[in-house]
Amino acid sequence: MLMIRAIIRPEKSPEVLAALLEAGFPAVTKMDVYGRGRQRGMRVGEVTYDELPKELLMIVVHDDDKDFVVDVIAKTSRSGPEGAYGDGKIFVSPIEEVYTVRTGGRDDIPSAASAALTTES
Amino acid sequence: MKEIIAVIRMNKMNQTKQALAEAGVASFTARKVVGRGKGKVDYLLLRGAQSGCEEAISQLGPGPKLIPKRLLNIVVSDELAAPVVRTIIAVNQTGHPGDGKIFVAPILEAVRIRTGQRGDTAIDETAA
Repeated sequence: MLMIRAIIRPEKSPEVLAALLEAGFPAVTKMDVYGRGRQRGMRVGEVTYDELPKELLMIVVHDDDKDFVVDVIAKTSRSGPEGAYGDGKIFVSPIEEVYTVRTGGRDDIPSAASAALTTES
Repeated sequence: MKEIIAVIRMNKMNQTKQALAEAGVASFTARKVVGRGKGKVDYLLLRGAQSGCEEAISQLGPGPKLIPKRLLNIVVSDELAAPVVRTIIAVNQTGHPGDGKIFVAPILEAVRIRTGQRGDTAIDETAA
């Protein structure tokens, strides 16, 4: 399984969440973050803002779904057809094990093996 | 080393903290997040609304609400990962949807900033 972390514009997050829901990936965690990118923040007149507010979306998907989900996020969070500085970044990292607390079983392996693991512990 | 990323219910935080301390892992990072799971999505209804069926549109709300949760990041050595996951599951399991998820991810390097120690010694809580 892979974890997709997307840093996007806060105003784009409802749109991205709706697109993910429609694409069949409803499960997502969202948090407010602050950061800067390669442009070293934003300069408005005399004032430099070097910690800009963004939103971080966290989605864990199967390996095969990665390209599709990344595509959905990238397409919907881009501002305008050309995109603009500050649209964000998407990072993908490996996840070794996934558990559902309600059942206590593992999500990332077939259910028979998962059941065996639960009874064993 | 492993990073355990757990999304749990807000009201289970104190019990989880206590249980983790008893299991020998007192250090972690927690933050408030919002999120949604796979529940409460009727794809048939969604498809009906998309194709313009009045009845489906009237039943369709603004989508599943984002629910406040606590996100725990715990970095432990390889041996401690399984007991910590078991502890979190044991404390947080109510059997109802919304209990949360636990993800286990690899961590390549850890540094204790105070001493500059690296690797497993940096996250060993028994060391002085």
